[in-house]
Amino acid sequence: MTSPTRRSFLKLSGFSMLAACSRGLDQKAIPLLVPHEERVPGRAVWYATGCSGCAAGCGVLARSRDGRPVKLEGNPAHPLSKGGLCATGQASVLSLYDSHRLHGPRSRGEAVDWKRVDAEVRAGIEAARGSGTAVRFLTGTIHSPTVLAAIRSFGARFGNFQHVQYDALSSSAQLDVYEKMLGTRALPRPRFDRADVIVGFDADFLATWISPVEYTRDYRAGRSLEEDGRHSYHVQFEARVSLTGANADRRFVRSPDGLRDAISELAVAVARRTGASIPLTATPKPEIKELAARLTAADRGTTLIVCGLDDADAQKTVAWINTQLGNYETTLETGRLSHQSQGSDTDLLALQREIRAGAVGLLFVAQCNPTYDRPGLLDLTKVNTVVSFAGHDDETASKAQFVCPDHHPLESWGDAEAVDGIVTVSQPLVAPLFQTRALVDSLNIWTGGTDGDASSAYDLMRATWKQALLPRAGAGAGSFDTFWAKAVHDGFAKLKPATVRVKPPAASTLRASAREPGTEGLALVLYAKTGMLDGRHANNPWLHELPDPVTKIVWDNYACLSATAASRLDVKEGDLVDAGGVKLPVHIQPGQHDDVVAIALGYGRKGTDRFAHVGPDWLEGDPTVEDGEFVGKNAAVLRGKARVAVKTANGRRVLACTQPYQSLTVPEELGGDKRPMVHETTLKEHRRPSASPEEAHGSHGGSVDLWPDDHRFKGHHWALTADLSACTGCSACVIGCQAENNVPVVGKDEVARAREMHWIRIDRYRDDGDVAHQPVMCQQCDNAPCETVCPVLATVQSSEGLNQQVYNRCVGTRYCANNCPYKVRRFNWFDYPHDDRLANASLNPDVVVRSRGIMEKCSFCVQRITEAKAEAKREGRPLRDGDISPACVQSCPADALVFGDRNDPDSAVSKAWTDRRQYRLLEELNTKPSVGYLSLVRNRDV
Amino acid sequence: MYRTRVGTITLLVGLALALVSLATRLSALRVPGNHQGYSPTQPIAYSHRLHAGELGIDCRYCHVGAEQSPHAGIPPAGICMNCHTSVSAPRADVLAEAKKAEAANRKPELVVSPEIRKIYRALGLNDKRERDPKLERDPIAWMQVHKVPDFVRFDHRSHITASVACQDCHGPVETMERMRQHSTLLMGSCVDCHRKKKATLDCGACHQ
Repeated sequence: MTSPTRRSFLKLSGFSMLAACSRGLDQKAIPLLVPHEERVPGRAVWYATGCSGCAAGCGVLARSRDGRPVKLEGNPAHPLSKGGLCATGQASVLSLYDSHRLHGPRSRGEAVDWKRVDAEVRAGIEAARGSGTAVRFLTGTIHSPTVLAAIRSFGARFGNFQHVQYDALSSSAQLDVYEKMLGTRALPRPRFDRADVIVGFDADFLATWISPVEYTRDYRAGRSLEEDGRHSYHVQFEARVSLTGANADRRFVRSPDGLRDAISELAVAVARRTGASIPLTATPKPEIKELAARLTAADRGTTLIVCGLDDADAQKTVAWINTQLGNYETTLETGRLSHQSQGSDTDLLALQREIRAGAVGLLFVAQCNPTYDRPGLLDLTKVNTVVSFAGHDDETASKAQFVCPDHHPLESWGDAEAVDGIVTVSQPLVAPLFQTRALVDSLNIWTGGTDGDASSAYDLMRATWKQALLPRAGAGAGSFDTFWAKAVHDGFAKLKPATVRVKPPAASTLRASAREPGTEGLALVLYAKTGMLDGRHANNPWLHELPDPVTKIVWDNYACLSATAASRLDVKEGDLVDAGGVKLPVHIQPGQHDDVVAIALGYGRKGTDRFAHVGPDWLEGDPTVEDGEFVGKNAAVLRGKARVAVKTANGRRVLACTQPYQSLTVPEELGGDKRPMVHETTLKEHRRPSASPEEAHGSHGGSVDLWPDDHRFKGHHWALTADLSACTGCSACVIGCQAENNVPVVGKDEVARAREMHWIRIDRYRDDGDVAHQPVMCQQCDNAPCETVCPVLATVQSSEGLNQQVYNRCVGTRYCANNCPYKVRRFNWFDYPHDDRLANASLNPDVVVRSRGIMEKCSFCVQRITEAKAEAKREGRPLRDGDISPACVQSCPADALVFGDRNDPDSAVSKAWTDRRQYRLLEELNTKPSVGYLSLVRNRDV
Repeated sequence: MYRTRVGTITLLVGLALALVSLATRLSALRVPGNHQGYSPTQPIAYSHRLHAGELGIDCRYCHVGAEQSPHAGIPPAGICMNCHTSVSAPRADVLAEAKKAEAANRKPELVVSPEIRKIYRALGLNDKRERDPKLERDPIAWMQVHKVPDFVRFDHRSHITASVACQDCHGPVETMERMRQHSTLLMGSCVDCHRKKKATLDCGACHQ
């Protein structure tokens, strides 16, 4: 007997269903009531604004679609960032759509309305004024002229008022030194583009130190490969492995004490060569001697020494060496001083004493989180009234009586004078999503200003600009309205900088840094991690899932140990250790000093327990964080300790790493040869005129075609090149791509199963201590192996050389991913909805949100290609080179990526394609990728 | 045995359902996703025949996005008011009122047709077209007629630039009293036209 099968039942009933279908769901289309001047539905509008991811003050172009900001990109006209934007900056658009932000003011932990909180804060202010008690305003670095003016005028109402600034990632010691040298608390601006020799002591200036995008741009500009161009020689001394160290031409590993010694040694060696006499005694090591020779041999003012140690003696010695080498005014620009870090640890300690003595009656806390990043320092219970302006219910805000949440930067007016005379303007792109209020507004209202006037932040900012900035703009600025309109349009204003004179430190005052006492345990290095920085972005899942550029680990912080230190402790990768009371998994970091344990700051933030259920919920899945726990551990509790005891602790914690292997060398048992993924050469070899491409950069495979005429690409032939010499591995492109292409967050467990979804990855290889970074996205092969195996033709070649993935055709066999030699295809094992529904508003409406069971991959941002083509056609002109810039190319602060039409002989990509450094990945497979790589050039033997 | 019986029953029920629906909706038999002929009732009885046909207003006068954006856009009520500030009712009604007023020897009253009143109300205007704070401003919730799936990006701008007439896809809109989906809007119809006009056939042109 034949029984009906499930299949036949479905067939029949399905057919009847189809027949019964009419329009599934009636949908409404609701237009605006009154047409908006700037807004055409479906058309993006760009506004110039400023980034507030850190205090660097980069310029941003924000893309708004139908009233929602959906993408942030660097503003090419901005004098500091020049079109670059780091991962943190790009990710801050997601933080706007964060439903865990405070929805309104709070009074003693209870949600109240603004009227009530205003009345209560006013009462607190009046009480403080009456009693004459100390009023303190504690902030991170603030260089906004408007906010500073507002705080000043607010403080003028009190008898005993002080604005205290401190930085979680402190440059206080360096500032202390320069305050004496410059007469103002600011830093000279390092100009990496003007330096022939760069020496870094623990300053991670390409990733997290002060203003990484600006520095990356400059650094790149100073590393030309042209015959007569400047190509700097970069030496880095460091204890852990930083991204900057990984990019250096020479990298020397020193313990934290050893770093201080190295600075003294360099000072002594330079003094010997210049004939100066200094009270330092040290015996320079050979490499220091050689470096000193190189520094003194270079023209005066063409070298640059930067130091990231928070140690005044070391900083002073570095300033002295820079003076000896004539670097002020040239590579250390004092014409435009940097205000990107202004905090003073001395002031913070003074505040601690005042609070402990019970002298502070009223404390305002804005743009900082001292309870988290200086644990136990400030005893807020001893302050009568604490008012916080935090946007989240963070560690400090939850201890404050009143929380008056500030807007997200994309919701409010603002300005930033990060560098003297360059003022970035921020403008709101969207009305505040919650009942938040600008800080200047709050201060204004409490001092009797207009109550609840939504535009008052704008008015206050204009007033400050008219009063304080217009006079500095010079005669050419015109009327205030012209000046203002231009500044808002451009996103910044250029003013005349203040003039300062540098008073070099007297050689006689140089001192060797105090040795850190003790020998037990390991020397502690606390560092900021790319993306997460001091922890202020801990609510952003994109940044948690961004693989660390050095370790490639996501969703955790960990104790980095060298292999020797780990074997001494008898621990393996992932084993828990107790470092000074903080229990962390071990990550074995090749290239780190043996006597060092390095731990990232910025983790263990309150509120990150929200990520417990990020990613798919399935039987075998593990949560990203255990219920009630935070992402990572707060290492700030170890601040101030030079050494910590590191003991093994019971247990393990799996670290999710996107690239656990380090080396390009195949294991001995498999042949032991080095795979040619990264081609390398030296500057000397590269510039040798007779060097043939093969000689200098290794051989290129020939190609034979079975079907030579299969793909002719008569119109455009899109291609991309990645310059490995320029790529620093900063990972801005990864987040840029994520924002542009609606790439989901999958959670730690999925990443550990190698199911991360990023369309672009940065491969990091470490061989013989040298690190190479290689961005790998879909190679858009002309002979694509994926296409030949797809049974449903869901991935096919376009007439313009794109390897297209058609989501609605894909049935999820995953044959293509198996056949892809570059492993760039990503499969949707699940639906990956946002953990926060509000975050759906950040989706790019031009790109499909992929569902479960289909394959996806880099598309060369095909939506941008079609958009640019449609616009060119509309304007009746041919496409120009540079019209199309995929998200990764656009976001690169180092200009390492170039995109364009290979069929246009004048395009930048065509030129790169014929560069003798050019090669392609796995060329021997004859896949004919449309992504080319330019080999890595190290400056080793000038 | 049990499994077979359950299977048979479900199959029979399914068959019955299929037959019933086939019998009643045989005329509507079509592949899924094809909504040709869809013509929902709109909140305002707006007539394309009158505006685009009789009065000859260019499509792009109201659908401003068509030339510069992927979306043609549904006009904001503000655009209606470009004309309806002075046109508040059909001419015949206004003339009839004028005649009546003349007969009664009074000034003619302002005639506002019930459909045009809906525009005024949406904008929070009273019948004299003045802003009335008591009236709430509320955008008009039109029913969307033409819709392609989420995985398709149709760009009006490119088609207008390539001189494709609106009617090529939307049909004789100037004769439609109520808007109706004229074409199938299925991929086949797109590809046919693209083949004929030698336009791109790359998947990525529409699927992004």
